[in-house]
Amino acid sequence: GLKRLHLGSCVLSMNFQEIRNEFLEIKGYVQAEDENLDNRILKSSEALQDIKPTERCCFFHHLLRFYLDRVFKNYQTSNYHIRRKVSSIANSFLGIKRELRLCHDHLMCHCGEEAKEKYTHILSHFEELDGQKAVVKALGELDILLRWMERT
Amino acid sequence: DEVVNLPAPPDLSVHSTNMKHILTWSPVTIPGETVNYSVEYQGEYERYYTSSTWIPSSWCSSISTPECNVTDDITATVAYNFRVKATLGSQSSSWSTLKELFNRNSTVLTSPRMKISKDGYHLIVEFEDMGPYFEFNVTYWKKSPNSQKELYKIVREGGNLVHLETMEAGAEYCVKAQTIVEVIERSSTFNQVECIRAQDESPL
Repeated sequence: GLKRLHLGSCVLSMNFQEIRNEFLEIKGYVQAEDENLDNRILKSSEALQDIKPTERCCFFHHLLRFYLDRVFKNYQTSNYHIRRKVSSIANSFLGIKRELRLCHDHLMCHCGEEAKEKYTHILSHFEELDGQKAVVKALGELDILLRWMERT
Repeated sequence: DEVVNLPAPPDLSVHSTNMKHILTWSPVTIPGETVNYSVEYQGEYERYYTSSTWIPSSWCSSISTPECNVTDDITATVAYNFRVKATLGSQSSSWSTLKELFNRNSTVLTSPRMKISKDGYHLIVEFEDMGPYFEFNVTYWKKSPNSQKELYKIVREGGNLVHLETMEAGAEYCVKAQTIVEVIERSSTFNQVECIRAQDESPL
């Protein structure tokens, strides 16, 4: 069914179970590609649920755009099954982003310093790594993002 | 290979009922030959973020029937496009695409098939298994001349016997139901009301 995501005054409904099922099908494959186990991009210090509610929507909006703009489209694989699953997740994220725009339009997605700062940290963790390695790690860390979403 | 002009498969369209999506097209016929088809798809993401790339359909690469079950390809509530080409030996037609993009929230939802029964005084309902997206909103009531108090229950999946109510001896109970598909935030119409009478009090 649908999950309600509480992002301050912005409440989204999303097909969370469907997204998680799609990710679970590729998790082993993608995480096995990640050779750099010492680093993490999504650190617990920047967890979605720990950001103050008023800035959670903005931070989540940043995270969605990060995955849509920097991760899904740059993930390269010759495995069509994996590609279909990534496409499925990406299109679901796009559907969520569209819903998020409604909150944005109703001024429920305020961007403050905390959201910007935490997102900047995540981006720097990502950019410290080499191109495709960073993409692979970020895709593999989707389960961290899904866990954050589950607790939000 | 004799060079044959292979037309692109015409009349591409998606027929969707109860979240099962079937892509169909008109066949390309070449006398004495078997023409095969390949299907690819793209979601909104592919159109706007990856310069319109296409992904081979899960089940329809080089098939001979002019139809493809694309249910496993459509797993988000965004607009999808499909394309099909015909192949004959080493020759391929150009691609044909949908006239209108398809979004799964336009699927036709039929009212559920339902079976009500009794086990002693217990009112039991059973629905067909319609797949992981389907829940059932059940409304039921005891028939009585004056008041009719409706009760509700959400049945999370089909294919199981579900206990609705313990009936009063001799009373008649009625049931109706609709499907709910949360991922597209829609539900079907209610089905036909069905009623059943509880057995009378058994003499001591």
